[in-house]
Amino acid sequence: MNETVKKPVSVKKVILRALLYLVVLDVCVITLYPYFAMFCTALKSRAEIFSPHGTILPVHALWSNFIDIWSRAPMARYLLNSILVAGGSTVIAMLCGIPAAYALARMRFKGQTAFLGFVIVSQMFAPVVLLIGIYKVMLTLGLTDSILGLVFINAAFNQAFTIWLLRGTFLGISAEMEQAATIDGCTRLQSMLRVLLPVAAPGIVTTLIFIFINAWNEYTVALCLISTDTNKPLTVGINIFNGYNMIEWQYLFAASIFAIIPVVILFMGIEKNLVSGLASGGVKG
Amino acid sequence: MKKNSFRKVEPYIWIAPSIILMAIFILVPIVFVFRMALSDVSKAGLIRGFNGVANFTKVLKSAAFGLVLKNTLVWTVAVVVLSTILGFVLALILNNQFKGRKVARAIVVFPWATTLVIQASVWNFIINTDYGTLNTLLIKLGIIDHAVNWTSTPAIYFNWEIACGIFVTIPFVTFCVLSGLQSIDTTYYEAATVDGANYWQKLFKITLPLVRSSLTVSTVLNIIYVFNSFPIVWTMTKGDPANYTDTLVTYLYKLAFYNGRQGEAAAVSVIGFVILLVCASVYMIYTLRKGDDY
Repeated sequence: MNETVKKPVSVKKVILRALLYLVVLDVCVITLYPYFAMFCTALKSRAEIFSPHGTILPVHALWSNFIDIWSRAPMARYLLNSILVAGGSTVIAMLCGIPAAYALARMRFKGQTAFLGFVIVSQMFAPVVLLIGIYKVMLTLGLTDSILGLVFINAAFNQAFTIWLLRGTFLGISAEMEQAATIDGCTRLQSMLRVLLPVAAPGIVTTLIFIFINAWNEYTVALCLISTDTNKPLTVGINIFNGYNMIEWQYLFAASIFAIIPVVILFMGIEKNLVSGLASGGVKG
Repeated sequence: MKKNSFRKVEPYIWIAPSIILMAIFILVPIVFVFRMALSDVSKAGLIRGFNGVANFTKVLKSAAFGLVLKNTLVWTVAVVVLSTILGFVLALILNNQFKGRKVARAIVVFPWATTLVIQASVWNFIINTDYGTLNTLLIKLGIIDHAVNWTSTPAIYFNWEIACGIFVTIPFVTFCVLSGLQSIDTTYYEAATVDGANYWQKLFKITLPLVRSSLTVSTVLNIIYVFNSFPIVWTMTKGDPANYTDTLVTYLYKLAFYNGRQGEAAAVSVIGFVILLVCASVYMIYTLRKGDDY
């Protein structure tokens, strides 16, 4: 009796299960396809890419493409610049953002709402909309065409996210331990550094990596401000292979892979924390 | 007494570094842009004096602006709406227990982590008529027998840009929704099952209301990002031919840095900001009202 009831359900379940795997497989294939195309193209010769009889996999894998790019363009310089821009922006954004997020989470003061309001409104101005103004500021400060200029811009435009994510993290941690530390004679700064920050470490690491990725991937401001080739970060620099009269796809993609890999690895590490951080920061805002 | 007055200024010391950083690199540029929008600006970028709304009338009267504005709205609405729907469905799928879920989630992160300029380059390569891999793939699979021109008109090219925009935006929505889904108490579903609710009833009566806040966060952020998105259109078509694929940001970039019309470019910036501000205000009023329900 029981079995006759159960059977149609399990058949339906098997079909649903198969469908689920099919959809997931499709999604993964479509998502990975551009990377597959990129990788295969990076291994082809120029002649093979432009040949009328197109190939999917490279006929002869030209691993030398991955070596050639370092001599054909100042790739090492681009890579170093990207590391400097992303690293510098992260440090400055955190040094400014941690105290601000702390004040917003633990203190009450006049203008608190106005400050939070400005932080949110600042999100609405993407750097590209303000490029003309940014360019003027950089001219005044003598920071056009400099890596330091990019560092400041990236740090400033990531403040909103830094404060948003960290405030959410701090609010999620009880203030009791810090209060106990203050009673024991710690100053506010000491109690933050010794008590709150170690507990908030996962949230801080997530924020840190997220800013690093944002600054690493930034393109528009660098495109506009940097004119000297050796000052360019990877995102702008690799377009040296994307000339007006000739595109060296194999080199462009080989260089792109170097720009993508570190970020993808970092991202996979923080993806879970980042999203819950975003959601909690938003709900508590 | 002295301690008390320190307590009053203390919070401002804590937020000072952040305020200084944002003041110099965000607020001052905002002021510059508004000032230039209302000024007569020379080709070299020197402000020659107050100009009233002349820059705005010039922009609004130009033939291209209507087209650019329409493109921007189509681009923003299409990318945000479609990626929200697809991202939501993908989140529901990935929220099931199945083998390889971790791998699938890691793969879905890829487009989010990759810089837009590289994504756009790859898609441009894939859809190329003469040597693109899409044609090669479809010919090898026997679906088509000769190379198809995938970008025959500017409108079709623009659709490819929208597709690329959707492709890179989906992961963000998916992960926001996933975080909302994981915080839902499973007892709700068990109770609903006992009461005889079917899948769709559970989806619309339990899941949707409970992930609404995650969806709102991702939608609002996406509206801002997509509206202001520059690299995809810039890499794929540079807004050409003749503004047919321009959005506000590529249009203003060209005005400012190619044509030396910085006053008008600043006016376009202000117009774009006003549009976003209206959208954001509507959202804030909406969420504040929702907050009253609790």
